[in-house]
Amino acid sequence: MARSTGFIPQDKILKLPTRWSDQDRNTHLSVSPDGRDLSYQGPSTNSEKDAAAARTLHHIPPACGIYYYEVEITAKDQKAFAGKGVKYGRLPGWEPNSWGYYGEDGTSLSADKSGSQYGQPYGGGDTIGCGIDFTTHKAFYTKNGTLIGPVFDNVGKNLDLFPSVGLQHAGDSIRANFGQEPFKYDIDYHVQQQYNTTWNKISETPLDRSLLQGHRRAGFSIASITNDVSVPVLTEQESKHVLTQLVMSYLVHHGYAKTARALEYQQRVRDTNASTPTDSSDPDVEMNSSASDAVDIDIETRTSTVNAVLAGDIDTAMDSLRTCYPSVLEVDNHLMLFKLRCRKFVELILETTEIKKKMKALREKEAERNKHFDEAAHEAWLEEEMNMDIDDDAAGPLVIRPILENIPEAVHESEESSEMISDRYESALNAAINYGQCLSSDYQSNPQPEVQDMFRTTLGIVAWDDPTEAGGSVAELVSHNARIALAHEVNQAILKSQGRPAQPALETVYRHTSTCITQLGLLGVGAAAFADMPREFFQAR
Amino acid sequence: MPPKSSIRKEEWEKSLHEVQVTKSDLNRLVMDYLVIEGYKSAAEEFSQEANLEPPVDFESIESRMDIREALQRGDVEDAIIRVNDLNPEILDTNPALYFKLQQQKLIEYIRQGRIAEALQFAQDELAPRGEESPEFLSELERTMALLAFESAPNAPSAIAELLSPAQRMKTAGEVNAAILESLSQGKEVKLVGLLKLLCWGESMLEEKTTFPKLNVMDGSLVERG
Repeated sequence: MARSTGFIPQDKILKLPTRWSDQDRNTHLSVSPDGRDLSYQGPSTNSEKDAAAARTLHHIPPACGIYYYEVEITAKDQKAFAGKGVKYGRLPGWEPNSWGYYGEDGTSLSADKSGSQYGQPYGGGDTIGCGIDFTTHKAFYTKNGTLIGPVFDNVGKNLDLFPSVGLQHAGDSIRANFGQEPFKYDIDYHVQQQYNTTWNKISETPLDRSLLQGHRRAGFSIASITNDVSVPVLTEQESKHVLTQLVMSYLVHHGYAKTARALEYQQRVRDTNASTPTDSSDPDVEMNSSASDAVDIDIETRTSTVNAVLAGDIDTAMDSLRTCYPSVLEVDNHLMLFKLRCRKFVELILETTEIKKKMKALREKEAERNKHFDEAAHEAWLEEEMNMDIDDDAAGPLVIRPILENIPEAVHESEESSEMISDRYESALNAAINYGQCLSSDYQSNPQPEVQDMFRTTLGIVAWDDPTEAGGSVAELVSHNARIALAHEVNQAILKSQGRPAQPALETVYRHTSTCITQLGLLGVGAAAFADMPREFFQAR
Repeated sequence: MPPKSSIRKEEWEKSLHEVQVTKSDLNRLVMDYLVIEGYKSAAEEFSQEANLEPPVDFESIESRMDIREALQRGDVEDAIIRVNDLNPEILDTNPALYFKLQQQKLIEYIRQGRIAEALQFAQDELAPRGEESPEFLSELERTMALLAFESAPNAPSAIAELLSPAQRMKTAGEVNAAILESLSQGKEVKLVGLLKLLCWGESMLEEKTTFPKLNVMDGSLVERG
């Protein structure tokens, strides 16, 4: 048997019902141009089940959690849900897979049950609301903004559901509100209740052992929940351990060394106090330091390597990789070494560009020698230099501060003579060209397509007078973001070489959970609509 | 029932990659853990290293931990003073919580065998409050029943449990939650909520389809079968 893939792409668009269908309706009904009005223009029927029915263009996506619409009545009618393929010559609730609330006598109708008393009768001037809750698969109705209550079971399970109405008398007409206007009923409150119910259910979920093993016991069923004592639930101690591990590995991954150290220390103090409750406030705990020192040194080396890349100091980064993490440079046919060398070439070119700019500025200044040194412009230049946008956490450890050495250089700039600066330019340019030639002879005949591509674009930047001003891929290549990306790559490569995941487990936990919820929603599990992760986890309360 | 479909690992990984989440989002989750769990100096360091606005005053983390410790070692008086130092409104606006602290104080008197003081305290402080609500009254009666038994092992478990460490933890937990609420912080570590959601989501999805499971300890995906 071929296994069909169950994966549903996330970009599948969820279309909501917003108008009556021009096709799927009884011929006695006419639809207004905006798709919201229906009127009955056939002969009146006296049968209690014959009617002219219509449904909306789109079905209701269960991933929306709760769907609700209201209908304002000019004369008698009936609102309901109907499944796909239902005939339009009957009132909803008389056909299989349809459910309805009958205005004539207030009964609720579903095909598998005869009508039973539900609400009050309704008629002209009333506004009747109809909702489906996909977390419970029950419908609910409202009359003039007041909830009548939940009704029917298993509504819309395993079939597409459409809002639907049936009209019976000549001149009957209705106007639907699919959310185009404010509803009479406080549906937001209703939804919030359901949201809370879902989260209460989630927060009652025990942390089970499968978190650690990555697989669940086979044959998990409803029956086994109630009285199976062997369902393995994590103990409090184990849960704490999982949390600590997630947080600690996250801190180490991103190089938050001081935080990691402080956390480890505080936990050790707490554990010691817990085991000897008599001396409750003795912080003087001996550090069993060898293990954490090793962690510290590792974080520091990795952080300084990554920071060197961020600062554009590629030589330092390469040296430290050669000494501490040689395999990082070697994997994939020395791909990382190549990338770093390319970046070094970029940095050399950027340096020449920078000097060229200064040279130009100096020449202009000499041209108007009698004027004062333009303090304001100088400051503006400095400021621009300081304002490099670096990362999302600008004071973080994997982040460089603006390069301080630039400042004294800048201050002395006015003292530098025109000859000195052009000498400097000369030698910088020579260095860049020499380095480019080395790259060229080393990689010209490299067969790897990735290497060839990058090699060509990298050398290509010399064609520009100022590559930072060039658009497109050139500007991208010389941008600071390219440094950040490379630094990130280096960090991940080091972690990978140590057998650690390229992404902290904490991040994977979030991504994995989010993917589960998305797939649940797409598979029609209504409760998934309420598992709003960004709202629960990232928004301030 | 249609046959269960399955989701391949490559598709799953691609989808993981598409999830919108930033480093600063995750940093805030970590900060929430450090704050709620009471790791003050780690929270301070993290605020510096990750350049993150602290969600609460760091001193409040420490006093919250001091209060928890005081209750765990049975010093209710100290805990009450500290709660009032932190924010007098916490107890003023929450009579049930204040009653629980008073009840805990009574329990500690009885535990220490200070019977005369226990009786005096019950009459002066707790009895008037017992008149306020039947719930308070029945709790007061349950606590006073401790006096009827010479040693805890002879008492019925519903009464003996008042002397257990779990009772102290329970009181400490409720006070902790009330303080967090007064600071507009959640009662539960958000990371715990995330793990619960993971368990909930995986088990629901498992009824519908087969997909790679996650080992949270190392972040690896495990495919079964």
